[in-house]
Amino acid sequence: MLIMGSLQLTPGVFALFYHYSLGQFSKAKTSYLSLFFILGAEIVTTCLYLSIFYLTCIFFFDNLHPETSILFWAIAGILIALGIVSFFFYYRRGTGTKLFIPRKYAEALDLSAKSAKTRSDAFMLGALAGTCELFFTLPLYIVTCIEIMRMGSEGFASNLLTVIYILTPVIPLFFIRWKFQSGLNLADIQKSRVHDKIFTRFILAFSYILIAILIICFRTVY
Amino acid sequence: MKAYDEKEIAKDLKIDAHAVGIPEGAAEVFIERTIKDAKKTLKNRSIITENDLKHAILKELKKYHADLAYVYENHDKII
Repeated sequence: MLIMGSLQLTPGVFALFYHYSLGQFSKAKTSYLSLFFILGAEIVTTCLYLSIFYLTCIFFFDNLHPETSILFWAIAGILIALGIVSFFFYYRRGTGTKLFIPRKYAEALDLSAKSAKTRSDAFMLGALAGTCELFFTLPLYIVTCIEIMRMGSEGFASNLLTVIYILTPVIPLFFIRWKFQSGLNLADIQKSRVHDKIFTRFILAFSYILIAILIICFRTVY
Repeated sequence: MKAYDEKEIAKDLKIDAHAVGIPEGAAEVFIERTIKDAKKTLKNRSIITENDLKHAILKELKKYHADLAYVYENHDKII
């Protein structure tokens, strides 16, 4: 959840979208459109999570033996790799908060944020931004799905965890929306993102590696 | 290579100015002045790159509004 709340692509696209929208429309319309962006990001997160949960159930439910399964070692390896990647390569070198995505995609997202004028544009942009983060979120979805599956998918705790997990990625978006609504502008928001850059990298790397260590410990000790 | 389009730059700057909360009238005046002064700075150059143009506009914008200059400078560094 910490990782899902710390990823920066969707908040970055959302900040750009809000800025451009504020430059072209009234505050009320921008605020209204931003809800559709958040809805798009939320729905794509939910769909991805549920699809992966379904696939996990199909492929791993019957033959899930954590003590011997190579799957857990593979996932732990991927998480460690993501921890290293997120520390060194999540942000590109230089000033600002240029992210890992190829520059052509970043330009396309910027252009889409600028030209989003309707509810459906905002919704699709939110969905697209959520999907672009899949490289960093997919292993987390798999780990969470397996853990929730092992908890028993019909229990109250697992359902609550699922709901919280699905809602976490949009919390930063509501926070940015509130910042814009309280009178701050893109310059203020970007300055705070730049200020928190090292902290974000550290949190991402630490969380990925911690999850990997927990997976290795709890699968091999018992 | 992209062609230099004064109207496009002015339009983008107006969107940014409105978004950072600058009144429309004031924004129009100083965007016009910014572009005019930037053109004056680059008048003697035979080749003008996109970077030169950005630097010239940025230098002029900083005189009028720090936040707008920051947004203009960091546009491509947000994602």
